[in-house]
Amino acid sequence: MSRVRHLLARDQNFTILIGLTVLVYAVLVPVLGGRFLSASNMQSMATQVAEFGLLAMAMGLAMLTGGIDLSIVSAAVLAAVVGSKFLRGDFIAITETNHSTVMAVAIAAALVTGMATGLVNGTLVAKFSVPPILATLGTYIMFSGISTVVTDARAVSVVVPEYPKIAVQTVADVPLIFVIMIAVYVIVAFFLRRTRTGRRIYLYGENDVALRFTGARNERLVITTYILIGLVAGLAGVIISSRANGIKVGYGDTYLLQAILVVVLAGFDPYGGRGRVASLFVGLVMLQSLQSAFTIMQFDPFMKKFIWGAMLLAVMVVNHLMNRRAASKGLAGAAPTAAPPAATRVSAEVTA
Amino acid sequence: MKTFNPFQAVLHRRATTMEKYLGGIIVLYITIVSLKNPLFFTPETLFDMIRSGSGTMLLALGVLMVLVSGGIDVSFPAVAVVSSYLAVMTLDRTGINNIWLAFAVSIGIGTLLGLGNALLIHFLRLPTLIVTLGTASVYHGLMAVVFGTNDFTTGEMPTALLDFGNTNLHTVVDAETGQSFGLTVFLPITVAAIVGVWFVLYRTMLGRSIFAIGSNEESALRLGINIFRTKLFIYTAVGALAGLMGVILFAELKTVNPTATLIGDELMIIAAVVIGGAKLTGGEGTILGTVLGVITIQLFQQTLVLLGLSTLWSDVFFGSVLLVSLAVMYRRQRIADRRNLVFAAA
Repeated sequence: MSRVRHLLARDQNFTILIGLTVLVYAVLVPVLGGRFLSASNMQSMATQVAEFGLLAMAMGLAMLTGGIDLSIVSAAVLAAVVGSKFLRGDFIAITETNHSTVMAVAIAAALVTGMATGLVNGTLVAKFSVPPILATLGTYIMFSGISTVVTDARAVSVVVPEYPKIAVQTVADVPLIFVIMIAVYVIVAFFLRRTRTGRRIYLYGENDVALRFTGARNERLVITTYILIGLVAGLAGVIISSRANGIKVGYGDTYLLQAILVVVLAGFDPYGGRGRVASLFVGLVMLQSLQSAFTIMQFDPFMKKFIWGAMLLAVMVVNHLMNRRAASKGLAGAAPTAAPPAATRVSAEVTA
Repeated sequence: MKTFNPFQAVLHRRATTMEKYLGGIIVLYITIVSLKNPLFFTPETLFDMIRSGSGTMLLALGVLMVLVSGGIDVSFPAVAVVSSYLAVMTLDRTGINNIWLAFAVSIGIGTLLGLGNALLIHFLRLPTLIVTLGTASVYHGLMAVVFGTNDFTTGEMPTALLDFGNTNLHTVVDAETGQSFGLTVFLPITVAAIVGVWFVLYRTMLGRSIFAIGSNEESALRLGINIFRTKLFIYTAVGALAGLMGVILFAELKTVNPTATLIGDELMIIAAVVIGGAKLTGGEGTILGTVLGVITIQLFQQTLVLLGLSTLWSDVFFGSVLLVSLAVMYRRQRIADRRNLVFAAA
């Protein structure tokens, strides 16, 4: 019994998250029945969640370092623009026979673009000490500006017919892009848990000054993290352009709020150092299930907007109350999202 | 011998680096534009910029106070739209066609919504960006769900609002074309707000507390500053300014669309204030810098056409100025910090 309680206290957030998800399903399944549980709805949910899941992962990585990345969506769009321009034959002429080559080049170009956006963000944060929130605010404007200029604010349509088929392909009835997302989650989880760089990302978020004095190269670590974020965002861009058969500036504007929502919902500490990939996945499942249920119930977009905002606030209130209770019981060190002591919190606020 | 410095005589201080840098960019840009297109130097351009820039300036003043206190508020466009839309509806439903009522309702609701932000921010102790992202969605979504999102066309709008938008202080008539351009009544309101915020920030204890909190909240607390009261003031003031701005915005646009207007512009306005030298760390930021930042963004948005470039380029121009100024500003601080063996960030 005490072991169970210890486990619950150690990962309270994860437990609550799973409880909430079960609750959501307990309500949705009887109410919506077949329409919700049908194989086709599950499949469409898995297809829809892929690009958003990757963007949420990018946001989560930024938050682990105690930062935030406002540029993820515009980075994904920029990557999609570069890829789509290749696939429209803007750079390489498309012939009958070179479709697969063009596709490989386009995807590679999109991923490299994503990494480049990360390099810019990382350099601003690491080498110039610009707070992440402002650095990515600037690059958000810059990246969407570049996308606007190179596309003339018009849609770029892909002409290679095989490319949009990537998004509808299935592996044993599971959408391929969902499998790709899962693979990224597994790889990132392994990277964060089992590699030195991954562990250092957590340490950096917890206390970057202490990490510096252990001899770690903080600047390189930050740049690496942002390049990884850019790569994940670039992959989201590839999936977006495949699903939408091209790209138009302004795509996915609502993803930013939702990405922050799901990351906070999953118990990531906005001040850095805490957060689990598994929690993020559970949060994602819950959010997408609600999203799909709202669509079946034909909620209007403002109702959804209200619900997402209210959920974000509710999660924060609950986290806050839990932390206070944990702190008053002297469990501050044990609870995963416990508030840092006042002094570090203030300095964290300044750098946040 | 002491040389006379007009800048110092007026402001009783030296220009900050960011003000000099931004002033230089503005002068350079205006020179290029006016050489390329003499049409730039007309009262029309100036009056147009004042008309469209007034609203942005009011919001920027609120953003400046938040940034100086070390926070980021992204809910002000939602607050502006919600409070002024409800004000327009009040005028429409009650049939009282009075601009003062519109201002009273809008500023009142704005203040209340700002109060909501302040309470959540203070008691949750979470990053202000995330809290206000949540409240922005809640405010805007709730308004749309409860009161609907019907547009008011120019014909359907309360005439008091239209009359207010058409009021001019001074009208210039072009001798050749016979067109007239008016200097809008928004200008004295904006100037009054600028002076008001300047007075609060630089001449009251409250204003000094805002800087102190932004510099170091822990030290401010130990100094005996009432942090809750200060934050209460900051976020309600931002709400009130947003409420004021909303009425001006709809009066200027002459249509009321509560879904497509302003929502999504928050990051650009924050960027305008950041470019003016407001720092998220260290409680820095000046009114003059904010004014220059707003002028820069207005110039890029309004006058790129005169250079023969499409307005699509404005984000690229503005983004590059913003990134360079961020890099310069924080690099300087980093060098100073390293000299003092401070390793605060990265």
